[in-house]
Amino acid sequence: MSGLERELRALSAVVDWPAEPDVATTVADRLGERPPARPRRLRVAIVAVALLAALLAVLAVPPARTAILDWLGIGGARIVRVDELPPLPARRDFDVLGQRTSSVAAQTGAGFPLAEPPRDEPAPDEVRLAPGLRVSYIWRDGDDVRLLITQFPGRVGDPALLKKLVGRTTAVDRFEVDGDPAVWLEGGPHAVLFVAPDGAIRDDQGWLAGNTLLVDRDGVTMRVEGQLEREDAVELVRATRGR
Amino acid sequence: MHQGIAFRVAYVAAGERGDAEEAVQDGFVKAYRALGRFRDGAPFRPWLLRIVANEARNRRRSAGRRIGLALRAAAASGDAAPSPEAAAVAAERRDELLEALGRLDERDREVLVHRFLLELGEEETATALGIRRGTVKSRTSRALERLRAMVGEAES
Repeated sequence: MSGLERELRALSAVVDWPAEPDVATTVADRLGERPPARPRRLRVAIVAVALLAALLAVLAVPPARTAILDWLGIGGARIVRVDELPPLPARRDFDVLGQRTSSVAAQTGAGFPLAEPPRDEPAPDEVRLAPGLRVSYIWRDGDDVRLLITQFPGRVGDPALLKKLVGRTTAVDRFEVDGDPAVWLEGGPHAVLFVAPDGAIRDDQGWLAGNTLLVDRDGVTMRVEGQLEREDAVELVRATRGR
Repeated sequence: MHQGIAFRVAYVAAGERGDAEEAVQDGFVKAYRALGRFRDGAPFRPWLLRIVANEARNRRRSAGRRIGLALRAAAASGDAAPSPEAAAVAAERRDELLEALGRLDERDREVLVHRFLLELGEEETATALGIRRGTVKSRTSRALERLRAMVGEAES
């Protein structure tokens, strides 16, 4: 590096940059503007906007936790690595996942091709349906959840329908399950934010999750969460193949 | 943090604070709406910076404003200088460099500011400016030569 280059680099520390404006709040405000009528085809755009608002809410917290380190998508999920997770309840409110329903009603009401629960597992304790958005199978272990399988439509590049904030301690490993793109999240809790049926995303619509597998199968993403090793999660996905 | 670097990149491209702020706002909104075109797995920051920089450049051009980099060195801080004279010389040199940067043509100035003042790498500079990495290298080298012709090389 020449002397001039060193001088220029040293300048970076002394340049008097104009004060940085509070862009996050302004943008969130702008995006908060909703059209008075909400035709169905606008809904996808609104979902995207709502997600940005959520992202900016994360940006708006003190600078130490605002750095977004990386961003990747899988199916209808978007994974954002952040310095620090936002405060979220560990307790789960399954109403976020939709209304309780039966397996049969979920099949007809999902609005997208739905895989049945895995073979060799007992029937789920609960089935939750948010029409057009997601269907969840829940297996309980007392008050805890042993296994949660959620399916939602969306390809990489679609407006995200589910958002995960991943901290530094969580490993994000991309691989394939029988040729389908997949991501395995392991090692630390991550925040899961769900978009509500009205397109809104609210602070209380998230929880901290453990090890999770996401697989994008022909435009429907399957999310498997539980006290599982990766191989177990993959086997569960394979066992749901028969639609 | 993306917001800070995005604002500075916008400020360099717009040359004016108000336009830079608007460019960052619009850039963030556009970036989110264009997420579908974001290449999966690619680094996010350069992509965002490029969108913001384009917004800022468009604003400056539509305002018909010639770029003028209004950068100043911060007021003399209490850095440990060997003497008041030496501090004065250092401050004078900083001002000279900033003033000379402001006189370079836009493309030369942009590449030097991105590489050295904003401390972006070659790849990130290339993405943010929308040019090839090889062009960043050659343009940096030529811009340094032109700057050197204006202000000379550092002593020692």
